[in-house]
Amino acid sequence: MDDPATPVAVETQPLYRLRGAERRYLKGEAEVAALRGVDIDISAGEFVCIEGPSGSGKSTLLQLLGALDTATAGTVEMDGQQLGLASDDVLTGIRSRRIGFVFQQFNLIPTLSASENVALAMAPQHPSKAEREERAKELLTRVGLGHRLEHLPSRLSGGEQQRVAIARALANRPEVIVADEPTGNLDSESAGEVMALLLELQKADGVTVIVATHDPEVGQHATRLIKLRDGLVVGDVKP
Amino acid sequence: MVSIGYVWYELRRRWSRTLVTALGLAAGVGLVMGIVGVSNGLSNAQGQVLSPLSSVGTDIVVERTVGVANTSSTSSTTTTTTPAGGFGGRSSSGGGGFFAGGAGSSANTSDRAALANNNSSILTDLSKLGPAGTQYSNDFFVNGTLITFPQRAVTDVSKIKGVEAAVPALSLQALHETGTVPTITDTVTTGGQTVTQAVKPPALTAAQEAAVRSCLEASGAFSGPPSGSSGTGGGSGGGFGGGADFGAAFTKCLPASYQQYEAQVVVPQQTITRVLNPPTTNTQTSSYTVAGVDPSNSTSGLITKAQLVSGTWFTSSATNEILVSAVYASSNNIKAGQTWTINKTPYKVVGLVNPTLTGDTSDIYFDLSTLQSASSQPGRVNEVLVKVNKSSNVDAVAAAIKKELPGATVLTSKQLAGQVNGSLANAKKLASDLGVALGIIILIAALLIAALLTLSSIAKRVREIGTLRAIGWPRGRVVNQILAEMLGIGLIGAVIGVVVGLGVCALVDAFGPTLSYSVAGAVVGSSSASGLVHQAAAAASATKSIHLHTSISVLTVLVAAVIAILGALLAGLAGAWRAARLSPTSALRDLG
Repeated sequence: MDDPATPVAVETQPLYRLRGAERRYLKGEAEVAALRGVDIDISAGEFVCIEGPSGSGKSTLLQLLGALDTATAGTVEMDGQQLGLASDDVLTGIRSRRIGFVFQQFNLIPTLSASENVALAMAPQHPSKAEREERAKELLTRVGLGHRLEHLPSRLSGGEQQRVAIARALANRPEVIVADEPTGNLDSESAGEVMALLLELQKADGVTVIVATHDPEVGQHATRLIKLRDGLVVGDVKP
Repeated sequence: MVSIGYVWYELRRRWSRTLVTALGLAAGVGLVMGIVGVSNGLSNAQGQVLSPLSSVGTDIVVERTVGVANTSSTSSTTTTTTPAGGFGGRSSSGGGGFFAGGAGSSANTSDRAALANNNSSILTDLSKLGPAGTQYSNDFFVNGTLITFPQRAVTDVSKIKGVEAAVPALSLQALHETGTVPTITDTVTTGGQTVTQAVKPPALTAAQEAAVRSCLEASGAFSGPPSGSSGTGGGSGGGFGGGADFGAAFTKCLPASYQQYEAQVVVPQQTITRVLNPPTTNTQTSSYTVAGVDPSNSTSGLITKAQLVSGTWFTSSATNEILVSAVYASSNNIKAGQTWTINKTPYKVVGLVNPTLTGDTSDIYFDLSTLQSASSQPGRVNEVLVKVNKSSNVDAVAAAIKKELPGATVLTSKQLAGQVNGSLANAKKLASDLGVALGIIILIAALLIAALLTLSSIAKRVREIGTLRAIGWPRGRVVNQILAEMLGIGLIGAVIGVVVGLGVCALVDAFGPTLSYSVAGAVVGSSSASGLVHQAAAAASATKSIHLHTSISVLTVLVAAVIAILGALLAGLAGAWRAARLSPTSALRDLG
């Protein structure tokens, strides 16, 4: 397990360092290369927007960065630790403590209230029940849902659900937020609210935000724009 | 660590799956409980059948059957002439000698002869029953396969060390015959007719002829010889004096036997009684069993006071009293207190009893002496029921009795228990064999259903589980979550299953079958099933019935509940294994 307390010199060592990262799948008999050698560094505090059409490898790259998956070739390092060599338990620990996830489909547990959904993410870190409830309330208030704590996801709008998901992603005070098409299922107003929240997190809390999207609107807020085509980086700009 | 709230909400959300899985487990557990209940019930029934044996304190039954193997080389020379005295004939030669007398090979033959003699008394002499058309009703007592022996044996047995009590009994087969005396003879009257017969008399002898001649001459109807006779007589006149005079004279002069030559014969009248062969009868025969017991001993023996169902035990005037088994009473509509006539003797039914088992049960119990005289076997019994002071002494005492009374069949209660069979024994076997197999199959089926439902539920929750993994839930936590859900299902299944199981048992109790059992206690030497005693031998094993009552203990309920819970967890393991293998990337898959 890595040690989150280790001080990181952002200038000298990037948060992420990818070298020749490949990800190949077996789809039936055929081998599909989702990523074909990606070399990028991402520094802490960046707001990275990964653009590209469907099948360009956005989600795959996001999975590697989110420690959900490992590269089949090349290296993916986080704070100098090779994720490809880490065990499932180590990766799970990294996800739990350092990374927050926001999904296109929100992925809330339908049987649990907004508050319980947020608290669920804290469970592996074993805080007390009171602590969990307190922090869930605090986070939901921050995302503007202090009045919706006990609502089930089915009784919340899409934008509200995604805000609950963001609150859940923040539950364990992550360094990185990985968001896969976070506005893909939202109307433009809700999408604007969600993007504003993510921007605020990056600016006010110094959280590294990595968003995969095809929404050009999102790209406007980013500090960095990485374009993918057919599993390769075709553009990497800092607007 | 699991979130109880999460578990509970999940179970509620997927309530149909929860219910179906729980019901599957409940059905398995309920049926297993039912099977256990029935099996316990059967064990209890068997125990109930066997317990009277110990409750009456009978540890050993001593009897004597035909064809008991003998090892004695002493050949008996005593010829048994009557069944009543035969076996006792040699008792003077030594202690218990009457049994020894039966041990010789020829005595065994005499046993058979005696038994045949005894059993042959069931032949009915129709001619002695009264005039044709008379209704008759007779009861015959026969010994069946059990040979009687003098009551003295009881005393001999009671002297053996370790014997606490020895009680005599006389168990007999009874044949009840009813019918109408058939027409067995008819009467024919012959004779009385008058017969006319022509008689041709023989020729006259010379002396008769001379007498006739002289008579005629003397009467003067005939004056002289018809020719050439020279003056023997006076010779006056000549020829016959007159025709009419001659005829009368001739008649007069014939010998007496010729004077009437026609005879009238009267045939003497005769009445002949013929025996018709074969006579037709409408005799109805039914058999039942009787036993003579010691009325003064109400605590041990073939029947005890404890087995009274209604009425009272034998009173001081036991000779005219009987106890009737409840089963026989109900099938013959006999009530306690009424009079029941056997062989024209009225007996008072003082009580109804429920003899469950003592080797051989009987339908009617008499005072021993009453039955001894009714069956013409005074002073003779065919069973001794022995109580041993310590259960550990049973085998030793049994051996001592065998030594004391060679040729005796000595049965211990343990051996008798092994002779219980019939549907009770079959059901017991069924419950223990098939029931267990069935229970296991049902449980496995319930388990498979639960496992499949769990797997399908996991398949529906791929993204949810992926999300949990993505937001940092370790594999173990996901596994615990799934198992906790299954534990909840198991608990619900356990509760429903226990209710179902108790319901099944209640149903079995309400509509449950009545089991029959038979005890082949009295027919040990079944080699005696020769033609003569066949009928008696067949009837000598008692068949009875007992109602099945299921039995469920708290332990059974607990075990059933634990089985439901373990089953659910086992099924949950399949789902949990599947869930643990899900990649956290499943959270990002677009599954709608």
